[in-house]
Formats: sequence, structure tokens, C-alpha cells
Amino acid sequence: MTDGRAPPPGPGLGVIGRRQPRLDGFDKVSGRSVFADDIELPGMLHGRILRSPHARARIVRLDTTKARALPGVKAVVTNGDAPDLVFSERQPLLAKGFVHYVGEEVAAVAATDPFIADEALRLIEVEYEPLPAVTSLRRALQPDAPLVHEWAAGNVAVTHDRDFGDPDAAFAESDLVITDEFRSPVQHNTLAEFHVAIADFSNPDKLHVWTPTQSAPMYQMALAKAFGLESSQVRIVYGNVGGAFTGRGRAKPHHFVAALLSRVAARPVKIKATADEEFIMFRGSGETLYRFRTGVTRDGRIRALELDVTFDAGAHAEWAMILWLPALYPNWLYRFEGLRYRGRFVYTNTVPKGSNHGGIMGRMSAGWMQHLTRVAEELGLDPAEFHRRNAIEAGDHARDGSDFGSCGLKECIDRVVERSGWQVKYGRLPPYRGIGIGIGAQASGGKNASNDTSAAMVKIADDGRVTLFTGIPDLGQGSWTVMAMIAAEVLGIEPADVNVVGGDSDIVPFDWGAFSQRGTFMTGNAVKVAAEDARAQLASVAAAALGVQAEDLVFAGGRVHIRGEAPDAPGRSLSFREAVAKAFHGGEGRYVMGRGFFNSPRQSGSMAFSFGAQVAEVEVDPESGAVRVLKVTVAHDLGRALNPLAVEGQLDGQVFSGLSQVLYEECRMDAGQVLNPSRLEYKLPRTWELPEVDYTLVETIDPYGPFGAKEVGEGPIVVTMSAVAAAVANALGEPLPQMPMTPWRLLRVIRHHRRRRARGAPGAAPR
Amino acid sequence: MLLPDHEFLKPASLAEGLALLAAGPGARVLAGGTDVVFNMRGRLFTPPAVVSVRSLPELQGLHERPDGSLDIGAGCRLTDLLADPLLARHPALRTALRAVASRHVRNLATLGGNLCLDTRCWFTNQSEDWRAARGPCLKTGIDACHALHGSPVCVALNNADTPPALIALGATVTLASVRGERQVALRDFYRDDGIDHTVRQPDELLTRVIVPPTTDRVVFLKETARQGMDFAYGTIAARADGHGARAGRITLVLGSLTTAPVVLDAITTRLVADGLGDDAIDAACAGLRAALGPLTNLYSPAAYKRELARTLLRRALLALREM
Repeated sequence: MTDGRAPPPGPGLGVIGRRQPRLDGFDKVSGRSVFADDIELPGMLHGRILRSPHARARIVRLDTTKARALPGVKAVVTNGDAPDLVFSERQPLLAKGFVHYVGEEVAAVAATDPFIADEALRLIEVEYEPLPAVTSLRRALQPDAPLVHEWAAGNVAVTHDRDFGDPDAAFAESDLVITDEFRSPVQHNTLAEFHVAIADFSNPDKLHVWTPTQSAPMYQMALAKAFGLESSQVRIVYGNVGGAFTGRGRAKPHHFVAALLSRVAARPVKIKATADEEFIMFRGSGETLYRFRTGVTRDGRIRALELDVTFDAGAHAEWAMILWLPALYPNWLYRFEGLRYRGRFVYTNTVPKGSNHGGIMGRMSAGWMQHLTRVAEELGLDPAEFHRRNAIEAGDHARDGSDFGSCGLKECIDRVVERSGWQVKYGRLPPYRGIGIGIGAQASGGKNASNDTSAAMVKIADDGRVTLFTGIPDLGQGSWTVMAMIAAEVLGIEPADVNVVGGDSDIVPFDWGAFSQRGTFMTGNAVKVAAEDARAQLASVAAAALGVQAEDLVFAGGRVHIRGEAPDAPGRSLSFREAVAKAFHGGEGRYVMGRGFFNSPRQSGSMAFSFGAQVAEVEVDPESGAVRVLKVTVAHDLGRALNPLAVEGQLDGQVFSGLSQVLYEECRMDAGQVLNPSRLEYKLPRTWELPEVDYTLVETIDPYGPFGAKEVGEGPIVVTMSAVAAAVANALGEPLPQMPMTPWRLLRVIRHHRRRRARGAPGAAPR
Repeated sequence: MLLPDHEFLKPASLAEGLALLAAGPGARVLAGGTDVVFNMRGRLFTPPAVVSVRSLPELQGLHERPDGSLDIGAGCRLTDLLADPLLARHPALRTALRAVASRHVRNLATLGGNLCLDTRCWFTNQSEDWRAARGPCLKTGIDACHALHGSPVCVALNNADTPPALIALGATVTLASVRGERQVALRDFYRDDGIDHTVRQPDELLTRVIVPPTTDRVVFLKETARQGMDFAYGTIAARADGHGARAGRITLVLGSLTTAPVVLDAITTRLVADGLGDDAIDAACAGLRAALGPLTNLYSPAAYKRELARTLLRRALLALREM
């Protein structure tokens, strides 16, 4: 899959830029790695949650007598056991008198084995009085729709309206204004590791929770608040994490329920989601409706943009924070005069929802890039040229306050145009073959809260072995390996000599977590500072021993030597281990410990942005409606590829997930229930449906990133989704108003074309 | 989801197994377990006992009879059948076998199991909790169908891959019980009722599958959402004698679209008369709507199923013509 363009280590770099296999790779593939579900604690109970079968109902009667009497049952909890525990917004942890969605937590049991827990659930008697429910976004918006919550008129939970520049004037001055609509479905995060939590609250002064997470501090704070503890009284253990894709950003009800059951039973309690529970309690993407409006000049300059986005929040607005993102996003891509954003979060009687892989920008871009492609084509412009003409550049100051210290957007566009053969293919492919281009940008971390910071510690044992303590979770993206590389680069040793200790909030220093593409940038900077602190301590010892100034020393290749001299010059250099031993066994007795932290100097927003462009080629079978993605050409400006091997893994994974979301994935909803709650029926492609991927890594060496690195954690999938959607639209000759672009949706368009052609109507035939 | 309590019975011989089926009302036949176990976990049924037949010697083996037909044990695993050189003479059947699920499943699943595969519906093949929200249906206890409101019969889909291929090949199956043995042509084995979807009686066991010899052209096509490891949106098995556009005998069987495989007799009669020319193929496709009758939106929309059926038919006939 690689074309060998992965850059070599940068000048003067020994480890950074190298194709480093992941340090935990063998443990992972040999099954030695421990995940939360592998953990068995002494006396551990098995918890199960009784969930609402109704989209909306009043609880007339709830009787747990029989369940409590079942031998082996150690705890049964209902709202009465924690009446004031509010999970999010105004949502009680366990239903209080009413249920608002299918799957809502009503009661829970803990028993000595899973079979007894299962049986106990059956013995809980609940009598419901079903109430009129609103189970779709469209229904929720109708004037006569029942109200999900009486306090929310029109079922609108939250709105976010924002203008940049003067959009009205900008539209008025436009030569051409085009409007399109798009709709994206309910989608699941499809994590490899199912939701699981083990809580040990048998000591009421300390709550231990073993669970996969993207942010231990967020889980810690939420659980501490819920149970009246200080943060440090909550310990989150998150050793290995089997994927996240925005699905593990906030603690979910099962974390709190496990803790509650454990407090009652005074024994550890494990709750693991069953296969269909995964699809019932998930908090992935909700259905979303978009209206895009763009005003342009005749010569193809964007003057005005309007994005109107309506999100299905579910029964509680847990994820209202995603509302503000689409307002900012166009600022990072295009120059324009005015932008209007109207966003609203709408209640429905469905599980609370937020986003999945690609955040909300991926699904929005699948529609928006089709729309912008149409705008370009209406102007008679090549869409690649249209994007390029309006693209921002390094040094730009955007209307949302963002500055771009580095920006390879135009270079990315140029590279994919060149490498995909765009010029000879666009507009010249046979019928039902399509080619599409998408572009995207992604903030590399940011200042989203006062504690959006990262810290790291390094200790060096007297045998020269380095231990790095970091709170960044490794979700499978290889963050622990890249952190070891950063520490190794600074200390002039091998990544394999760095032992990464992570995943335990009692041990590691603070780290806000692995989301918003902040890991490499924020944590990477903190690790670099910590390693530099350790190196400075070693350097002063070594300098004294070698009779030079510390600034004259170079740490490289496992040695400490004098700049300009041979690394192994006898009497004029030390091995790394010798330097460490001199510090520890010398008169000072210094045990070297380095510390570092990183905090953005900005009040808000991001210090660095990645950029990308992709070209997708597809083939539509006009008889079956099936789409085959033939090739995706990727160029991503990631600042610097710290580990090109891991970068390629990110690109493969995101191209795969991106095309999967555009073409395959959808929770088929009916009356508030998921009709396809399994990996069998929730269609995901198989790995061999991953097309050829051509990579170009554009290195712009960001002034603020560690060794110039930005992000590659989510930027690429947003672009894949745009490019694939644009390619399908290109194959059919018109934008697709909905994803996923399933065979039946494509056939409907093709059928329509055939009828029009049969009537002799012009246009709309695929080129 | 956990398995409900049940008695696990493992007879040593066919006679013992048939006696168990005759004695225990509600005993469920278990072969590979890839379908039954899953449905039991969802408590679609909670039989007091399951009778494991996978190791019965009478259900094993594949051999050629003197008349050239293949005699296949219903307990043969799909993986073993695919590896057997005797099956090389039926490439379309091999295609159908290989289309079933994944290698992992084929390592467990048996031919008899695939032929008896329960029908599927996304309102019914769910966990007990899920179904509790929707309320029961024809299959789970009351007089209501969530897939086709007002339907007097269960319209769950027959989603098995091997039946269309074996029907096209003219296979017969042996049903054994303590009452004796009977042969049933596979095309008569299925019923248009998602609950009692075969003519097999509860005390009967499907023991052998007989595939007569043929030199005809046969194809099998399957359309899925992803490449493999999936149930079909639609399948077709097509068979014809003769060469090119000329055929004196044609068999066409559509699968996975309805409650039972659909044998297209009326369309076939016209094709034999007209040959496999382009116009005749168009006419055959146009006649599908009547042949298929009403379709459901289960797993894919009815309009798509109808169009997919036409595509499968067209492709199968074109493929036959080229063979």
C-alpha cells in the first residue's frame, strides 16, 4: 500500500521519522495484553441492567422483591437507591417515574454469576403505561409533535447561532447562490472492545474502576461528582483500550451503575454489554439534517457560506458540545467574506447521541463536499481548482481567531490531483465510474477547558532503563509507541529502552486524554519537555565528568558525547548507561526524574491544524446498485510523520471507516428501536474491501508541534468521507441527498434517470 | 446473551436419535449449532432438550451411487464438502456452499442444517428484551406480524444459500423417523410459512441429500451487502441443458427474497419455447413481478428486492447462455 514516499528521519534525528513497529505489538497479537474484560477480581459479582422496552412510558409499578429473594443475588438497585444521582443534564441515573427511550436504565442487579444475574432481571416486575413518543428527528420538528420534555418547546434542546463577517452582505454580493440538503443516519462507533466496567467500591473512601476510556480525568470527575468524592478518591484503570472513535469520551450509565451496585454489595461488580446492548446503550451519531448554502463570484471565489444543521440529541442533550464545531470548521478551510451557522440539538425519545468516528465533520463533509463540487461545476470550474482557489494558506488569520503556523492544504490538493491522474479522469470516465475530490482540516488538540493540558514524568533506573509515565490512553492508535519514540529521541536512546507506564490514574500524571486529535501534539509536547528535563540533569553530571559545558553535549545512539567529536571517543564520551550510573552512584546520588507539562498559551482554539485532500474513484453497478471503491489517493499535511508506519495504519483505518460510513453503516431505526443491533446486520465492509490507498505525507514542520508534528488521528477520515461521497455523486451525475449510499438508494436514482431518458428528457444522464 | 436451561442429548445411533425425537415433545435437533444456538440465546425458542445429531454415523459421508448420483450425509460439514473431490462435478453447488457465512461458521455448519435453516425476521431474531418492546408476533405467540401488517402467515425470509442450488440440481432429501423413511424432492420441502417452513415433522430427521448426476449448465449467484460473511439480499440458481441460447429444460430458483425459495415455472416454460435470446430474457425479467408476489421490507426494501431479482435473473440467464 505504500509508495515508499514515507520520509526518512529528519536531519539530526535518530528515532523520529523511523518506521517503528508498535512496542506492544507482540503482546497484542499473542493475546498477552490485558483488557478490562480479562480482569477477575476476588469476590467479583456480575451486574446486569434492566432497560426500558418503551420509547416513552410512565412506570406504574416497579417490584424487585422476587429478584432480591433469588439466591446468589447480592444487590438490586433502582432509582430509590440513588435518587439524587443525576447522570447528565437532568437525567437520573436510574429511571425516576418515567422512561424516555428504549434502553434507558431502570434497575440493575449484581449476582455471583451471570446466569443468576440474568435470571434476577427476569424476576423484576415493571408495569409501564406507554405514552406518545417522538422517535424520529422529523417527527420531533413537527408543530404537533408531543414534547419529549415539557421544558423544551418545539423539542429544541439547545441552539447555537453564530455569524462570522457579514453573511447577508456577502450573499447579496454573490453572483451565484446554491442550496443543497443532506441527511446522515444513526451510526454506531463499532468498537472492537465492547463496553465494560468493573467497579470496586467496597471501601467507601475509594472507588476503583477498570474500564476502557479516552479520558480518565473526565470519567474520574464525573464519578467523583456523582458519588460525592474528591477526584483522587476515584481511580480509573484503563490499560489497553480496544478502539474508541469518540465513543469513550464520557462515562456512560453502566460505569455509574457498576459503582452503585458495588457500593451496595460491598464487592467488585463487572458489567459487560451484551452484543445487542452494545447497540441499545451506545452513544454514536444521531440522525442529522443539513442545509448548505454557498454564494460565489463568477470567477469562483467563495463569498458567503451558510450551514444549517439539526442534530438528533436523543432524550438528553449529553453531547451539546458538538454543536459549535460546524460553525468553526469552514474557517479552517476557506477564505470567505461571511459565514452563517445555525445549529440546533433536538430531543427525541431515543438514546442520547453524539458522534462517531470522524466526529461530526465527517458526516457533514460527505454532504458539504458534494454541495461544493456542485457549486464548482455550476460555475464550469474543476472542483479541485475551486477548492484550491479558495483554500487558506500558512500565515492566514481566520475569522474565528485561528492562526495557521503551518498549512499544506494547497500542496495536498496538488499532490492528489497529480497522483490520482485527476486531470485525465475528471469528466472523462465512462458511465457509472466516478471520481471525487474532498478536502479537510482538523484542529490538533485545542484549549477546550481550563484543564485541557497534558503532563508527563520520566524516571531513569541505574541500569539506564527509562520509564515514561503518561496518562494518554493507547486506543490502538499507537500513542504509547510514539511517546516512547519522542522520549528516546530526546535522550538519544532506542524506543525499546523506554518502558511506557500508562492507564492508571493513581500512577500517571494528569492528561486530559486522547480525543480532539490532541495526543501527539499536547501529550507529545509534555513528554518531550519531561525527557528534556531528565536529559538536562544527566547532561550536567556528564559535563562535569567530561570537563565540558552541558550545552556542548550530544545525546545520540545510546551515547553522550562532545559535539563535533566521535560519539565513542575514548575518555571524551560516555554511554547513556554510564552517564546514568555517574548520576546515581556519584556524590550527589541523583536518581534522575524528569517532569514536563504542556498547556496551550491560547485562551481557546487550537495552535495547529492538519490539512488533507483525497481523491476517490468508484464504480457503481447500475443493475445492482452496489458501489466499489477502486482507489483512494491521500495527501495529508500532518506536520511531521513521527512514525510513518503508524501514520499509514491511521490512513488505512480511516479510509476504511470513512468509506464504510458513507456506503454501508446505518442503524435502521423503527419506533425508537434499532432493527439491526448486531455486527451481522449492522453492515460493515470486510478488510479486503479496503481499496488501494496511495499515500503522500506532506510535512510542513509545524512550529509548535513536537518535532513539528500535528495530527493524523481524525483529519483523514473527514476527507475520505467527502471524497467517496463526491465520487459516487460524480458516477451518478447528481448529488446523493442521503448516506449511507446503499444499493437501494442508488438504484432509486438510476431508475429515475432511466425513466427520464425513456421520456426523452435532457440531462441527468451519467456522463 | 446466555443459553436458557435445557437438556443436552447425544444419541449414539440414528435409531436412538429418532427415538429421542419421537419421545420428547419440543426436542430440538442440533447439528452444527450455528443457527439453533444463536436463536436459543435470543430465546426465540426454549426447548426442554436438544438432540445433537452432528456425530451420528448415519449422517456422515459422501459417496457416489451406481447411477452416478451423489449421496451426501446431512451431517457433513460445509468445509468438508468443499474439500471433497466428488463435489467438483457440481461447481455451482460449490459456489453456494462457499457463499455460506464465513470459514469459521462453515467449519461447524452442516448441509442438513443449512437446508433446515430457520427463517429470519428482524422483528423476531432479536433478544428477548428487544422483542418485549415490540410485542410478540406470529412466531413468538400471538396473531400479529410486524413485518407485513395483517399477514395471516409469518413472512420471515428463507435466507439459506444451499437450497436454491440444490433445488436446481433436482436434489431429494431423506426424512427419517421411527415411523419410517420418506424421500422428498427438495423443491417440495419448503412451505410458504415462516414458522413451519419445511414439511419436516418434529419427529423427523433429515438424514441424506441425494444429488442426481447432470451434464447441464448450472450457475449460482449471491448478492450481499459486503464481500462474504453475510446473509444474502438475494440469490439465484439457474440450470439449463443444451448450448448457447437453446435449451430444452431450464430450472430457475430464487432465494432469500421470500419465505421459501421460489421456483420460476411459468417463466421457464416461455424461455424454453423462446430460447435465451435478449428479448426472451427481457420478457422473463418483466414477468418476475407476478411470479414473486408481494415482498417485504425485511433487511432490504421490497422495491430493491424486486429489482435485484431482475438483475440476478438477467445475469444468471446471460451466464447460462455463455456456458
